[in-house]
Amino acid sequence: MYMKHESYPAAMLELVAFANDAVRQIPPLFPLSANVAVNPFLGQTNETLAVTAARLARVAGTRIIPDRAAFAAKLTSGEMTEADLLEALSDVESRFDAPSVADVKAALTTATADLSPLPTVAELAAEVSGIDWPGLIDERIGAWAASHFDQGQALWQPNRTGGAYSAWREFASRDLTLEIHGLKGFGAFVAGTNRSQWRAIGRASEALGVTPEAAGTVFHRWLMTLGGWAQYARCLLWQAELEDQTDTTTTELLAIRMVFEEALFDLYRDQIADRWADTIAQHQAPITPTRDLVIDAVLQDAAERAQQRTLAQTLAKRQPRKVKGRPMVQAAFCIDVRSEVFRRALEAQDTGIETIGFAGFFGLASAHKGAGSDVTELRGPVLLNPSVCSHTAESKTCDLNRRYTARAKRAWGRFKLAAVSSFAFVEATGPVYAGKLLRDALAKGTTGAKFDPAPRLDQSIDLPARIASAKAILGAMSLTDNFGRIVMLAGHGADVTNNPHESALQCGACGGHAGDVSARLLAGLLNDTDVRDGLRKDGIDIPSDTLFLAAMHHTTTDKVSVFDQDQPSGQWAESIAQLKTWLNAAGQLARSERATRLPRVKGADDIARRAVDWAELRPEWGLAGCRAFIAAPRSATDGTGLSGQSFLHSYNWRADDGFGVLELIMTAPVVVASWISLQYYGSTVAPGLFGGGNKLLHNVVGGIGVVEGNGGALRPGLPWQSVHDGQAYQHDPLRLSVIIEAPRDAMNDILKRHQSVKDLFDNRWLHLIAMDENGDLAWRYTKDLEWVPMTKSDIGQTAIAAE
Amino acid sequence: MYHLFLPLLSPLILLASACYAGRHPGLRPGKVPQLAEWAALGAFVIAVMSALILIVLGGGTSALIGVWGVGLSVHLDAVSAIMLVLVSFIGWIVLRYSATYLDGEARQGAFTGWMCATLAAVLLLVMSGNLIQLLAAWIATSLLLHQLLLFYPNRTTAQRAARKKAVVARISEAALAAAVVLLIANYGTSDIATILSAVQPDAPTIIAALLIALAAIMASAQFPIHGWLTEVMEAPTPVSALLHAGVINAGGFLLIRCADVMLVAPGIMALLVMLGGFTALFGGLVMLTQPAVKTSLAWSTIAQMAFMIMQCGLALFPLALLHIVAHSLYKAHAFLSAGEAVRNVAAIRRPGPVAVPSARNVLLAFATGILIYAAVAAIFGVDGKSIQAIALGVILIFGVAYLLAQGFADAAPGALTRRTVIYASVTSVSYFILQSVAQYLTAGTLPATPAPGPLEWALIILALISFGAVALAQSTFPLWASHPAAAGIRVHLSNGLYANAIFDRLLDGWSRRQTV
Repeated sequence: MYMKHESYPAAMLELVAFANDAVRQIPPLFPLSANVAVNPFLGQTNETLAVTAARLARVAGTRIIPDRAAFAAKLTSGEMTEADLLEALSDVESRFDAPSVADVKAALTTATADLSPLPTVAELAAEVSGIDWPGLIDERIGAWAASHFDQGQALWQPNRTGGAYSAWREFASRDLTLEIHGLKGFGAFVAGTNRSQWRAIGRASEALGVTPEAAGTVFHRWLMTLGGWAQYARCLLWQAELEDQTDTTTTELLAIRMVFEEALFDLYRDQIADRWADTIAQHQAPITPTRDLVIDAVLQDAAERAQQRTLAQTLAKRQPRKVKGRPMVQAAFCIDVRSEVFRRALEAQDTGIETIGFAGFFGLASAHKGAGSDVTELRGPVLLNPSVCSHTAESKTCDLNRRYTARAKRAWGRFKLAAVSSFAFVEATGPVYAGKLLRDALAKGTTGAKFDPAPRLDQSIDLPARIASAKAILGAMSLTDNFGRIVMLAGHGADVTNNPHESALQCGACGGHAGDVSARLLAGLLNDTDVRDGLRKDGIDIPSDTLFLAAMHHTTTDKVSVFDQDQPSGQWAESIAQLKTWLNAAGQLARSERATRLPRVKGADDIARRAVDWAELRPEWGLAGCRAFIAAPRSATDGTGLSGQSFLHSYNWRADDGFGVLELIMTAPVVVASWISLQYYGSTVAPGLFGGGNKLLHNVVGGIGVVEGNGGALRPGLPWQSVHDGQAYQHDPLRLSVIIEAPRDAMNDILKRHQSVKDLFDNRWLHLIAMDENGDLAWRYTKDLEWVPMTKSDIGQTAIAAE
Repeated sequence: MYHLFLPLLSPLILLASACYAGRHPGLRPGKVPQLAEWAALGAFVIAVMSALILIVLGGGTSALIGVWGVGLSVHLDAVSAIMLVLVSFIGWIVLRYSATYLDGEARQGAFTGWMCATLAAVLLLVMSGNLIQLLAAWIATSLLLHQLLLFYPNRTTAQRAARKKAVVARISEAALAAAVVLLIANYGTSDIATILSAVQPDAPTIIAALLIALAAIMASAQFPIHGWLTEVMEAPTPVSALLHAGVINAGGFLLIRCADVMLVAPGIMALLVMLGGFTALFGGLVMLTQPAVKTSLAWSTIAQMAFMIMQCGLALFPLALLHIVAHSLYKAHAFLSAGEAVRNVAAIRRPGPVAVPSARNVLLAFATGILIYAAVAAIFGVDGKSIQAIALGVILIFGVAYLLAQGFADAAPGALTRRTVIYASVTSVSYFILQSVAQYLTAGTLPATPAPGPLEWALIILALISFGAVALAQSTFPLWASHPAAAGIRVHLSNGLYANAIFDRLLDGWSRRQTV
C-alpha cells in the first residue's frame, strides 16, 4: 500500500506527482449511510470560477455556470440590475481582458455553446470502430467497482486483498465480456500489466505519449470518466488523511482506467494515433477561460450581488425583540437553514423565548456507538477528528437482547437471499407480503424515529476534560451568562421512508446523522453538578434552577421531540409542559410556511404524511435555497423573514476575547456551509456531473451509493428531485454570502492563518461581507485581505427610500 | 350465465382510465393519477367479487362476444380468479405508488395511461376463455410494456434492454401463435376449456406443447435469454414492480392454463424440469454476487421463475400457482421498498460479526431440518401427496437448513439458536399449510400430478442432488468462498456466464451511441 518512491526512475516520480495532484482535483464522495455535502469544486478552490469552468470544460465537457437565459430572465425581471453588472465587471481578474457591459448584454441574448471535453482514447476508438467503448468501459469498471466497494449487499463478497488495482487485475484478467465485444486478448493484456499501479501508470503513459505537461489534465480527464467511483475512492483518502494515514485507491482506479486506454490504443493505433497526439497537445496548453466563460462568471457574480442587495433590504426591516430580564426558555438550534423557519415560529409564541444558532453537533464531535451496535458512527463535521467517544447507556441484558434480535433478523435476511433457501422463503412467507404491501401503501408503518436510550460520554474522559469542553462550548455559543430556566439544545434530523438519500437530509455538522446524540450528550454534560461546580470556578455560573434539555427538531414534519426522559423533570415539569405547547404551535406555524413551497400539499397536515410515504421523492426541500450565512447576534436578524435560506450562527464579537470563537466559526461552520451551498450549486448547474441523477431510476449499490438504472458510475451529489420540483428549480445556484459582524482586522488575521479558507473567499467560492454595529452590510471583502465599503445600491437603501 | 362477464369490467375500467390519461399525457396531469388508482382499486374489487361468484355460483366459460371463435370470453375458474385478484391487487398498489412517485415527471400522464393499459392486458390474458384472446392479450402485454420500458426514450441503456426484450417477446409470440393455430386446427375450436377437456396425445398437440413451453420460457427470462430482465431497471421503479410481480408471471400462467396440453408431452415436461432447475440454481448463485439491490432482485426473479417452471415440469401445477402468488407479493414489495437498501446494509454490520458454522454444524442443521420436515409431515399427514411434492418439500427443507445452520454455529449464542429453530419450524409449518391450501383450491381445476415414471424419478433424484449440493455449498459458504480457486468462478458467475454479453454481441447492442 505504501509507495517505494526510491525505486522508481525520476520520470516516473514526476508522473506519480501529477497523478497525486489529479486525485486532489476530485472531491470526496461519502457513503450514503453517512453522507455529508461536499464542495464539488474542492480541488479547484485555489482557482476562480472562470478558470474552473475552463478546466471542467476540458476534462468533463460540462458547464458549471447557469445558462444565459437564467441571467437574462433575472435582468428582465429587475431582480438583477445593470448596476450589479457594472460592479461585477469592475471586479474581473486583471489578467483577463475585461468585457464591457455591452459585451455582457449582447452575450445574454446568445445561447451558450455546447461544450465537449477533450476526447479519451476510448472515445476516439468508438468513433473509428462504431463500438461504444466508453460505455463498455463504464459498464465494466462499474461492475467490478460495485462489488469491490460493496459494504454487504451481496452475500458472496469478492476477494479484496492487495487493494483495488490488484483486485481488479484478478477480475479483469478472467472477465471475458470485453473479449466477446471485440477487445481480443484483453484478459492476457491485463495479466501482463505490472502488479504495481505506479508502474502500470508509467507504462500506459509511455505507450500513450503522456507528457508531464499534459499529465495534469489528462489524468483529471480519466478520473472524471469514473464519476462517483473516483470520488468514493477519494473519500477513502480523505478519511485516511484525517487519521494521518494515506490511501492510494484513487490512483489505483486511474491506473485501471489507463490500462483500458492503453489496450484500446494498441488495437486502433493506426486509425487514431494522430488525433490522440493532437489531444495530448491540447492537454499541454495552459487552462485559460474563453471570453464566454469570463462573461458567464461575471453574470454569476452579478446575480450574487443582486441577491445580496435583496438580503440587505430584508435585514434592514429587522425588529429586535426585547426579552426582558431572564428568558424563560433559551432554545439552541443548529445553524442549518431549516432551523431559521422554526426559530422564527418559536419566537413568535412568547416574548420569554430566546433562540440561539450553533453548529448542530454542539461542539462534541463524537465517535458514537449506538444501542446494540459495534459500528462507530462519527457524529461530527467530517472536517474534524472526533474529540470524544460515547455510547448508548443501557444494561447488559438490554444490549444483548437488542443484539440477539438484530442477529436473528440478519439470519432471516440471509435466508431470504441465499441460493436454494430463497425458494423456501418465498413459498412459505410470500403471502405475508400482501399485508406488508397494504401497510406500506397506506403508510401505516411505524412512524417517527425510535430513539435509543440516552447516550453517555465514555468514562475515560475525566472531570477536568469535561469541564474544559463545557466551558469551550458555552463560550463558542456566546452563552456564558443570563441563563434561562430551560436551555433547550435541539439537534435536527429528517424522517423519511424508503429514501437512499436520507443522510443528505440529516445534520451536516453531525456527519450525516441526526443531531439527537450530540444534543443529549451536551445536555447531560451541562446538567452534571460536578461540571457546573467546575464551570463556576472558571467564571461561568449556571444557576441551579437552569435545566439543559435535549431535543430533536424533525425537519420533515417540524415536530420537536423533547428528551425529558433523560433526567428527572422535577421542578421543571410545568415549564417543560409549557415548552411542549409552544413547540407544537411553532411546528404548526412552520409547517404552514413550508407548505407553500412543497408540491401536493394542500394544508399543513399533508406534510406529516410525506415522512412515512414510501413513494415520496420530495419529503422536504432540505437545504435547497440556501444562500447566506450570518454570524451575528440574533438581534441583527430578528423579525426578518429569511425564508429558510440562511444559516444563522449566534455570535457576539464583543464577548470574544482573542477572537478564538470567530476563528472557529470561519474555519468550521463556514466551511461546512460552503460545502453544502456548493453541493447544491453543483447539483443544480451540472446535474450530469455533480448531481445524484433521477431518483426514479436509482439502484442502490453496495449500501454506499446509487447508480442510475443497471449500473455504470456511482452518482455523487443531490438527485434531480432534491433541487427541482418538476416545473422549476427549488435552488437558485448562488454561491454563499457569508456575513459576519466582527472587526475586519480580526477576520483578516484569521484568513492570514488559514490559507484554504482565504482561497474560498479570494476566489469567490464564498462572498465575505462585514456587518456593522447597526446591523447593515457595510464592507465587502474583495481579495488578498482588502475590503471595500458597500455602496448604497449594494445595501439597497435607495430601494427602501423608494418604497 | 351473465355473471361470468363480470371480470371483464376490470380491464374495461382500466382501459377507460388509460384513455383519459392519454388525453392528459403531461406534467401534473390533474386527476389522472388519482383516477387511475381508483380504477385499479375498482378492478381489484371486481376481481374479488368474481372470486366470490366463483365460490357461490360456480365457474365456467362465458359466451363469446365475437364471431367465429374470435372475440372476448371469460374463463372463470380457480386459476383465473386467483390470478385476477393477484394482478389487480399488485396493480392497485403500483398505481397508488406511482401517483406520488411520478409526481413532477414531464410525462406522468402518459406513464399512468400505459400502466393502466398494461394492467388491463394482463387481466384480459388471465381471464381468457379462448385462444385468440389469449394470444392477443399476450402480444398486447409485451407491446404495452415496451412503452413503459422506454419511458425515458433517450437512455441508451434503456433502448438496449428494450430491444433485447422485444426480440425475445417476438419469438415468444411467434411460438404461441403457432401453438394456437395448431390447437385450433387440431380441435376445431378456439375455446380453451373445450380443448383442455378433449386433449389427445397426438403429434400436433405435442408440438403445440413444445411451442407453449418455448413461449413460456421466453416470457419467464430463462437461461440463456434472461439478459433483458436484469437490465430493465432503466425504467422507473413501479415499472419494475409491475413487471416482476404482474407481467413476468405470464409464462407460468400459460403453462398452468395449458396444463392438460403439457401433460401429454412428458419429454417436454422433462425439458422444463431441467432448464428450470438449471436456471434456478444458476440465477440463485449469480444473485449471491450482485452488489446492486435492484439487479439482485432481478436475478432473484429469474431464479424464482425457474423454480416455478421446474414445478410445472414436475406437474406440480398447484404449487407453481402458489409460487407465482407468493413470489409476486414478495417481489412487488421488494422493488417498491428498494430504497431501504442503504438502511438494510448498514443494519447488517451493527450487531457484530456473523457466526460462521463449521461443516459439523451444517450437517447437524440439515439433519434437524429433515427432522422438522418429518415431524410436520407426521402431524399434517402426507396422504394424497405426490412423490414430486414430497421431493420438492425436501428441496425447500435444504433451504431451511441454511437458516438453522446460522443458528447452530458454535459461536452463535443460545438465544440465536432458539430463534432460528423457531423461525425454521414456523417456515416449515407455513409451507405445508400453504401447499395444502393451494391443492385444495385448485382441486378439480388443475390436473393431478401423475405417478412418476423412470424419467421423472431420474429427474427428481437429479434435482435433489443438485439442489442439495448447492444448499450445502451455500451453508458452508464462508469456509470456501474466499479461496482463490473460488475467485475465478465468482468472476464468471457475477457476469451471468456471459450469456447476456453474447446476446448483446449478436444484436450489436453496444454499437456506438446515436449522438449527432
